[in-house]
Amino acid sequence: MKALLIDTIRCTGCRSCQVACKEWNELPAEETSFFGGPGYQNPKDLSKNTWNLITFNEVKLNGRLKWIFGKKQCMHCLEPGCVSACPVGALEKTADGPVIYHKNICIGCRYCMLACPFQIPRFDFDSPNPYITKCRLCHDRQEMGEIPACAKACPTGAITFGEREDMVREAQRRIAENPDKYHHKVYGLEEAGGTCVLHISSVPFEEIGYITDIPNEPVCANVKPAMKAIPAVMLGAALILGASYKFRNRTRDEEPAAHG
Amino acid sequence: MSTEVKGRFGFGSFILFVLTVLGIVLALYRFATGIGSVANLNQGYPWGFWIGFDILAGIALAGGGFVIAAVVHIFGSEKYHALVRPAILTAFLGYLMFITGLLVDIGRPWMIWSMMINWQHESPMFEVGWCVMLYTTVLLFEFLPVVFEKYKMAGALKIWMNIMPLVAIVMLVFFAWLLSRSTQWTVVIAAVLVIFELAIRGGVLKRDPRVPTLLIMAGIIFSTLHQSSLGSLFLMVPHKLSMIWFSPILPVLFFISAVMAGMAMLIVESTLSSKFFRRGLELNILQGIGKGLSWVILIYLAVRVVDLAYRRVGSELLATSPQAVAFWIEIVIGLLIPLALLLTPQGVASGRGLFWAAIFVVIGLVVNRINVAVTGISGGSYPTYYPHWMEVAISVGIVSLGILAFLLICRNFPIFEKEHSHAASA
Repeated sequence: MKALLIDTIRCTGCRSCQVACKEWNELPAEETSFFGGPGYQNPKDLSKNTWNLITFNEVKLNGRLKWIFGKKQCMHCLEPGCVSACPVGALEKTADGPVIYHKNICIGCRYCMLACPFQIPRFDFDSPNPYITKCRLCHDRQEMGEIPACAKACPTGAITFGEREDMVREAQRRIAENPDKYHHKVYGLEEAGGTCVLHISSVPFEEIGYITDIPNEPVCANVKPAMKAIPAVMLGAALILGASYKFRNRTRDEEPAAHG
Repeated sequence: MSTEVKGRFGFGSFILFVLTVLGIVLALYRFATGIGSVANLNQGYPWGFWIGFDILAGIALAGGGFVIAAVVHIFGSEKYHALVRPAILTAFLGYLMFITGLLVDIGRPWMIWSMMINWQHESPMFEVGWCVMLYTTVLLFEFLPVVFEKYKMAGALKIWMNIMPLVAIVMLVFFAWLLSRSTQWTVVIAAVLVIFELAIRGGVLKRDPRVPTLLIMAGIIFSTLHQSSLGSLFLMVPHKLSMIWFSPILPVLFFISAVMAGMAMLIVESTLSSKFFRRGLELNILQGIGKGLSWVILIYLAVRVVDLAYRRVGSELLATSPQAVAFWIEIVIGLLIPLALLLTPQGVASGRGLFWAAIFVVIGLVVNRINVAVTGISGGSYPTYYPHWMEVAISVGIVSLGILAFLLICRNFPIFEKEHSHAASA
């Protein structure tokens, strides 16, 4: 299983990855305004035309204001909530890691958006023929033996792509070699059961706008037992109803009319 | 024997008609321009009023159909027989209304059939979708005798009596396989159903001459499953739904409250239709329902309290947050006030006390479902969602259309039983 490793310390906020993502996926530019979002961040948020966003976070570090850049995109969970939620299988977790979207069978119910703990899938509320949009970890490039466009474009080595185990080891190695520089946590290692996009940073992740109150078990952990119970409920209900019918049937014979 | 009833279409019906037209116009506008032009939904709040009201509350309120079918045809309380046909009709129209609401809410409604060929048995949404599809079909079948009676089709009724048990078995067995993907479960469930039908055909069990018992059972089983699965939908969001509502037993809570709301709706609609059609109100029947309702409220309240205590939810309920306020509205208006009304002899003796108790239960249920789907959901940094007036107007339009259809069908088909001499006047 492949994964991305994002090292926010190495990121200079050049946004080549943002541009590369748009180029590869043929996404048009967005009309933006200066200071339209938080600080110099542009655009404001992910959208149907922006699947990868470098976030600009102003953080106070050792008494000095510093920019720390984050990367917002689909996390490609190991057990994705969106995939368990989708009633038609429009979202699929591929064996290589990417969570991909089959737009033609989607019914537009938006349950994937609700299920996503990272708030990533976007829905086009302004179109009469809307789709869900999100990063697909350049699934198509990977099939051709290429690495994702964002990783390819990054000039500083802030985005590394490889086997997930190797990326986890690499992240832990960087933290261990520079324990003062890094916050001691690999974001994505355990969140929602683990993801195929891992982040390391110099500051706690809540300070750079990441969602951090995500349970460590997969999103579908509570749903699975409820779905498993369905045949048992059916059998139990059939037996109880059948037995009640037989029992009450007898009393009905005895007192036919207005019996309560 | 049932009969058509007379009722005047007056000013009230005219208002309903206007609301329906407004709803249709706004729905057309939404289909032409996208959901964003009529709804305040955003990327952080993908679900809103439509899911909470049309779907979660609507389906629970239509639960009267399966509750009364169980009480009369399975548990054998013949006293309530007069309520079966109106309740089945209400449930059928209720489900059609809900499906209409769903088509407005989902972004690509023309793809809804996608669910029929792309099977995802681990998705609660998939389960709800199939259950609703099958139960609506069952409701249509349960309603057919009314049509046969109206057009004096005795032959068709006979065929219906013969075929429906088989149809019910096929539906249930297919559904069991679809959701379990397990041969063992499917075979066991099929065996139980087939043995039951053979026992009836072989005379071991007495046959209900009015309706095939297996069809009623199919309706009850599908209802039990999807009423609870609507709660399972929200088991997916422990990270977004407030502690006040997120509980592993949400499916159980949704099922019990659907039974409760279904019973309340029986009282509400019987009272209202007795007014509209100027028929006598069979108070002793409604008192029986009221008594049952008070028990279900007690059970629901007890399960709710134990669940909250077990999960150690306390300070959240006493905070001055909109969520805490919404919770107390649900508990006080939806459970405590109706319980008080139902437990006082004066409250039950008069039709008015019963009616208001039922109305409060219905309001409480609607608030509860909206709380789970909207109020309790946290959308992070996105602007807090409040429904747009056009969202509400579309839902109101759908409900108005449903009420008009109910009145029209009651005037033209034998839904209500002929009045008995002992009926009290309302």
